[in-house]
Amino acid sequence: MEPVIFWILSAGAVVSALAVVFFKKAVNGVMSLLAFMLVMAALYVLMGAQVVAFFQVIVYVGAVLVLFAFVIMLLNLKDASSSIFALPPVATAALPAVLLTLGMAVLGWFVLQDAAFSRAPVVLPPAPGLRQIAGDLFTRHLLVFELASVILFVAAVGAIVISRKEGDRS
Amino acid sequence: MSLEHFVGLGIVLFTIGAAGFFIRNNAVVLLLCIEIMLNAVNLIFASFARYLYGTEGQIFIFIIMTIAAAEAVVGLGIIIALYRTHKTLDMSSKL
Repeated sequence: MEPVIFWILSAGAVVSALAVVFFKKAVNGVMSLLAFMLVMAALYVLMGAQVVAFFQVIVYVGAVLVLFAFVIMLLNLKDASSSIFALPPVATAALPAVLLTLGMAVLGWFVLQDAAFSRAPVVLPPAPGLRQIAGDLFTRHLLVFELASVILFVAAVGAIVISRKEGDRS
Repeated sequence: MSLEHFVGLGIVLFTIGAAGFFIRNNAVVLLLCIEIMLNAVNLIFASFARYLYGTEGQIFIFIIMTIAAAEAVVGLGIIIALYRTHKTLDMSSKL
């Protein structure tokens, strides 16, 4: 049963990612990205990382994508240019092919590097639960956690400074 | 399912995101492609956390999500400022 779910989910992820790239309007791209995020959450559940799936839905779907949709609605883009691609057609066709080939080469190299290592164990141990992750996060990785809060604060202040109107003193 | 299935899927998704970043000319779609790449890396981290018996992978995912949220906020701020000054989001036009 698990392989069937995996292949269905991975097909959904690839299709929705391609839809983000090839949709002409940015709003459609945001909606495809919504589907992509939900499929990724399902993949995390398949991998036993329920906590990550939970935060994926809350952070990405609940915050980041709403922000994207908000900005697109706010800007009210009407300048539909004739071409959605920045490069000439030959380069547009060749670049994904080259990148995909390089990616497959990396994967092949990774698999051949240590065949025994990439062979899945017969019985996987139970995935770490919320208690174990929280214990690790707040003891061994406490500094990273605090730095993340600093980064969020700096980003909030920076976004206000960047998007403020020039000469707006208020 | 084995480790390289998930890593392969992550590589394919990262490639789609990277290619989209290079070939599209709408600034908002460029940010969406960055999100796809970050999610692909998250998937690879989660699969390593699953198959190499650790919690570190999931903790890294939380940190990456934080960075992604901060990046989206700053990027959208830049897009608003860009649209206000240049009246276009077309990255291939002469600004």
